[in-house]
Amino acid sequence: MSVAIETEGLSKRYGRKAPGIEDVNLVVAPGEVFGFLGPNGAGKTTTIRTLLGFLKPTGGSATVFGLDIRRDSVEIRARVGNLPGEFALEDRMTGEGLLKYFARLRGVKDLGYAHELAERLGADLRRPMRRLSRGNKQKIGLVQAMFHRPPLLILDEPTGGLDPLVQEEFLDIIEETQAEGRTVFFSSHNLAEVERVCDRVGIIRGGKLVAVETTDTLVDKSFRHVRLTFEEPVDGESFGALPGVEDLKSDGTKVSFTLYDNLDVVIKQAARHRLVNMEYDRPSLEEVFLTYYGNHKNGEGA
Amino acid sequence: MSAVMGRSEKGRHAARKTPRGTLFALVTHTIRSCSRGIVIWGAALGLYSAAMVASFTTIEGAADQLNQLMQAYPKGMMEAFGITNLADPANYVNSQVFGFAPLALAFFPIMALAGSIAGAEERGTIDVLLGNPLPRWQLVIGNFVAVALSLLAIAGIVGLLTWGTAALMDVELSVKQVADAVLNLWPICVLSGALALLCSAFSHRRGLAIAIPAFLIFGMYLLDTIGRASDDLEDLRPYSVFYYYGSAIEHGIDWAHFGGITLVALALVLLAVLAFQRRDIYT
Repeated sequence: MSVAIETEGLSKRYGRKAPGIEDVNLVVAPGEVFGFLGPNGAGKTTTIRTLLGFLKPTGGSATVFGLDIRRDSVEIRARVGNLPGEFALEDRMTGEGLLKYFARLRGVKDLGYAHELAERLGADLRRPMRRLSRGNKQKIGLVQAMFHRPPLLILDEPTGGLDPLVQEEFLDIIEETQAEGRTVFFSSHNLAEVERVCDRVGIIRGGKLVAVETTDTLVDKSFRHVRLTFEEPVDGESFGALPGVEDLKSDGTKVSFTLYDNLDVVIKQAARHRLVNMEYDRPSLEEVFLTYYGNHKNGEGA
Repeated sequence: MSAVMGRSEKGRHAARKTPRGTLFALVTHTIRSCSRGIVIWGAALGLYSAAMVASFTTIEGAADQLNQLMQAYPKGMMEAFGITNLADPANYVNSQVFGFAPLALAFFPIMALAGSIAGAEERGTIDVLLGNPLPRWQLVIGNFVAVALSLLAIAGIVGLLTWGTAALMDVELSVKQVADAVLNLWPICVLSGALALLCSAFSHRRGLAIAIPAFLIFGMYLLDTIGRASDDLEDLRPYSVFYYYGSAIEHGIDWAHFGGITLVALALVLLAVLAFQRRDIYT
């Protein structure tokens, strides 16, 4: 069966100072939920906009369901539901009006699924866009991307501006989409949502695809922020000497550090004292990049 | 992995027909979006025209004296403003309204079509719209057709208000004279819009797509107006589109000029399609 997305050496250069993307090789299988991750300006949006034909590639090739992005852009967009990262909707239009218009552009007769999505996400389809908050516009953006049940969803930062309950509902919808055998390709900064729904992730930095890994591998690579509070003051250096502990900060009864490995040893060391509280946090995805994929400046550009 | 597939093979994977009727949907949507502008421009220009028609009744009795007074003015100045006989309602209305109406009305298509591509990029609406299976050429053509039809609607409103006032005030203006006058506004306005569309298709900046055609149209108006009064600029008048405009309310539409200007506009739209097909879209 044909792959959903395939790029071979895909490149887009804007100029000397803004390299865009370079030599991106990527395969997304049908039915897969693929997370596309990277720091701001790494090239995620450039890749997505090139796949959709908004930007002309300067090198390489890419296909979506076997259709060439240069030649068959319209046919590709007939099969794709797209939520842009930065978008605006016509100020005077209501969500209902926008969906009816897009339904005509797509030849969709029944807006039943659109209304179901709007209800699940709590999107207000009656008010004009200019009166909607950013979160509500994002909900309408999601509905317009999904209402025609496209074989491929391409979503650029889909949960930006959504409250946690709506994010949860959105992730449920993504899981249902996958259960129907459809493909989802989305970019995100939110490691938790990527971990929950994505089968694999691609990591882009400085316009180059530096890794494609299963989600489990990415999460395993992550470090953790650990904060311990003891009943009595402890010697913080006893934790600093443990393998896998870095960036130690100690202040009497409180000890905090970044843990890369050896949780068992840390727990045993902490158990020697009377522990009042323990916080064990995931890093932000940005932090993971900074740690595993080089400094932040390398990620800027596109 | 697989290379680009043949057409027959494509259908098996995520088969989905590219919808038809997208151009019609775009045109009707754009006209609906323009509806407020149609009413405002039609009412503004139409009411001004109606007021000028009504004012003819106040000077009608004194037209001979006014003509004598006008003879004291330089002949070039009279020609610049198209004044030949103020006792003739058609000449009066042409000199007061339709002589400069295409210059004023040109700003409607310029604003609308500058916003259709570059404006949509600046507003950030173009990615969502083109996320649909809408070919780029249809975005260009659809917006042009919608604005061209909107101009006809504006011309219709102006015509109705002008003729209605003439009928009410017993001013001798026939339906054909008024229809010719308002229809003759269309080619120059469409040309102005096509210029804006071309600029919008080339550049990513709406301001530029407004400024360039506005500057050109205003420059051509000045060239033609001054050229009528000045022998030095007389030879340059053919380079202005207003040279081919004439006075349709007095002499009927010159269909050769009407068609020629329209053809130039269509050529600019074709260039806009080619330019927009080749460039990146930014938001």
